[in-house]
Amino acid sequence: MTAFILRRLWQMLPTLLGVILLTFFLFNFVGGDPAYLLAGKISSPEQIANIRTQLGIDQPVYVQLWIFIKQVMSADFGVSWSTNEQVSQIIATRIGPSLTVLVPILIIETVLSVALALGVAYVRGSLTDRSIMIVCTIAMSVSLLVYIIVGQYALAYKLGWFPVQGWGESFSENLLRFSALPILLGVAVGIAPNTRLYRTFFLDEINQDYVRTARAKGLSENTVMLKHVLRNALIPIITNLMIYLPGLLIGHFLIERFFSIPGIGREVILAVERSDFPVIKAITIYVAIATMFANLLADVLYKLVDPRVQLK
Amino acid sequence: MKRVDWWRLGILLAGMLTSVAATAAADPKKVLRTEFPAAETGFDPAQVHDLYSNIVNEAIFEPLLTYDYLARPSRLAPRAAEALPEMSESGRVYVFRIRPGILFADDPAFKGRPRELVAADYVYAIKRLADPKLHSPWRYLVETKIAGLADVIKAAEKSGKFDYDAPIAGLQALDKHTLKITLSEPDYNYPYILATPTMGAVAREVVEHYGANIMAHPVGTGPYRLDKWVRSSRIELAANPLYRGHTWDFAPVEAGDEVLVTAMKGKKLPTIARIEIAIMDEDQARLLAFQNGELDLFQLDGPLAPKMLDIDRLKPEFVSKGAKLSRIIDPEIQYPYLSMRDPVVGGLSKEKIALRRAILMAYDETAEIRVIHNGQGVVIDYPVPPGVVGYLPGYRRTDATNIALANALLDRFGYQPGPDGWRTLPDGKPLAITLTTRPDSLGRQQEEMWKRSFDAIHIRLNSDKKKFPEILKAEKSCQLQMRVNRWIADFPDGENFMQLFYSGNIGQSNTSCTAIPEFDTLFQKATRLPQGAERDALWIDMARLLEFYGAARISMARPRNMVMQKHVIGYKKHPIILADWLYADIDLEAKP
Repeated sequence: MTAFILRRLWQMLPTLLGVILLTFFLFNFVGGDPAYLLAGKISSPEQIANIRTQLGIDQPVYVQLWIFIKQVMSADFGVSWSTNEQVSQIIATRIGPSLTVLVPILIIETVLSVALALGVAYVRGSLTDRSIMIVCTIAMSVSLLVYIIVGQYALAYKLGWFPVQGWGESFSENLLRFSALPILLGVAVGIAPNTRLYRTFFLDEINQDYVRTARAKGLSENTVMLKHVLRNALIPIITNLMIYLPGLLIGHFLIERFFSIPGIGREVILAVERSDFPVIKAITIYVAIATMFANLLADVLYKLVDPRVQLK
Repeated sequence: MKRVDWWRLGILLAGMLTSVAATAAADPKKVLRTEFPAAETGFDPAQVHDLYSNIVNEAIFEPLLTYDYLARPSRLAPRAAEALPEMSESGRVYVFRIRPGILFADDPAFKGRPRELVAADYVYAIKRLADPKLHSPWRYLVETKIAGLADVIKAAEKSGKFDYDAPIAGLQALDKHTLKITLSEPDYNYPYILATPTMGAVAREVVEHYGANIMAHPVGTGPYRLDKWVRSSRIELAANPLYRGHTWDFAPVEAGDEVLVTAMKGKKLPTIARIEIAIMDEDQARLLAFQNGELDLFQLDGPLAPKMLDIDRLKPEFVSKGAKLSRIIDPEIQYPYLSMRDPVVGGLSKEKIALRRAILMAYDETAEIRVIHNGQGVVIDYPVPPGVVGYLPGYRRTDATNIALANALLDRFGYQPGPDGWRTLPDGKPLAITLTTRPDSLGRQQEEMWKRSFDAIHIRLNSDKKKFPEILKAEKSCQLQMRVNRWIADFPDGENFMQLFYSGNIGQSNTSCTAIPEFDTLFQKATRLPQGAERDALWIDMARLLEFYGAARISMARPRNMVMQKHVIGYKKHPIILADWLYADIDLEAKP
């Protein structure tokens, strides 16, 4: 296992280099020239040139690329071009609010959809199964934006169960008061597609010979479903979960914007609007690294849930 | 030494007295909750370039001048200065006397000592705008304007370091409380520049103490200080206990002002102890938060307006709940232009003029106001919008929307339809105009409206989507053929709008790259005149020239709607003052 992990870590380096090159060239060529934004309404060519010099964007491309590589290696992306705030500080202060909302969504949504999918898979073909699948299909067809707009209007404004928006200073207030509605809506949005997806994973397993054998041996249905079917279906579920994990780092900009949550999703949008390249670069690199580690974690988890899996 | 000690004691006493006054005025129970629809960037007057940061700066920092709260068009009034400046040499020299005893808010940078505002603080603040290292977006306000400053900037660009101690002929602290500003050229409008939040005084020791973090540590002499700041989320201001207070003493001008005067006259401000500003990106969140009582004052933007307004007044269901509306027409113009340096539409030949005039005449801004802006807009005929000195309400354009006339004009000057029905150039070559817009919903909608107009005169329209920085870059080098631009007043004088079409500003604010010799001559003549009928007459001639040459079509301005709860009193939207809630109060008895 250790050799496998070391090998995978080593393999991350060329992938990271590819991400660096892609990010660098993409934003350099289509990202817009921030000097014109920073210079204000009226500026002379000399001022623009001066700003470009200070930002280092007048340097040859290979010099800028080398600076970028050094920034990635030192994890120091400098300061935001629009606010002068340290990029590390931006990420450190925005990641907390994003995780406060997204981690509960991920946990609750996963637990509920796995339980629901297991239940409907067990009664497959029944009226309950069909009804839930129809509800899931309808729920999946509705845009997240509709959930947010209707949820905020009905649950927060009309019924007054939650604050319309806001963010406080203590973790408990943020989690229990301000994040409650965003979490509820996030779970409502994610539970339908996941239930459908996980149901198919469970159905695949239920139809396997080993399940028939287990039943023939006289094992209880609980044991068959929870010990055998669930465990064997976990591999695709883990794969699905690991796809979500890096997303925690970029937050959920729609939820954050509508509920005024000072998370990293809003920051990404702001950085793009302001052509704030250091922030965009840093977040892109961190997400790329997180994706690679999530993939590695998925492989390790496969081995843990299914000893037959060989890590090569 | 003894004299210095007496002086310090005097300042200390003055500080204590003003502290007592301001603290007594601000009621801890009074909190104003408002919002910004976009995030701030920081609070250094020299470095910030966004509107919302500047609103906060205006509450924290004090320029020498401000505006009379109720006067329309806006009229200057002293703020940190004792009075309006003494002007000499036809608007080239201005001398300000600063009120003695004004104190900066307490800060560790002052090491426990009270710090009085002096003329040298303004000299320093203005120099910071010119420091190339800060790449201040406001450098253009001082660089060539203040005598001798351009040389120091050049030296700084060469050496890489701005010499803050270098004497500048145009910037002199004559004594502790007297500031003399000498301009390179006479400019009757310069006092307006000195009323912008950008010109707020900063203390050098604070700037040096916080260094690169100065954006997060604003320390000024204004009525509020920054108390809490969660970037891009929440800004909380607390009444500055060392602020001297200002008295609400304004005369009514417009209908409805009497109510404000009755409620506020003679009050010592600020009476509101805290201003809490939430950053709310989404319209729905702002509207529901207001309706839910989570906001006291909010800006009702165009897309939201139909939910609360019947065009220009609140719907009865909101009035019955006590909500109030303060509405102004923003001091801005929207002006679609065709670049006069473009090889197809530019130039001063008759057929080019005809082409531009026909295209601009084919556009119907009333349809844009109705369809895109939900009725939230007014047609503007004159380059100077309402609320700005020089506005002429009776002026009527000569280039009113007229499709038949536009087609006749094109026919007459040889832009004949080809076999495919689309018009060609007089030499028979294909004719197509490229409209550049931003890749957002407004850009798409405006493009659709223009497509209709172009179809009506049988000219092909090509679409060009560019990000905002790329548009700015292309405009500065006259690379765009056509765009719908917008300009909001930096200061409330018509010159700020007329300069948009002066050829000397090509590459800067003259984005249409207009170069009309007669216009330039009149502009130069007008800038040497003070406000008045003589200057107004020149501006009318200039406006007619713009119409005649088809340089741009002055089309519309948007209103700004501020909606407030019943308990917010004394508030009226001001066209130029950004932090106009500085003049408001909270009626605790009316608060639910």
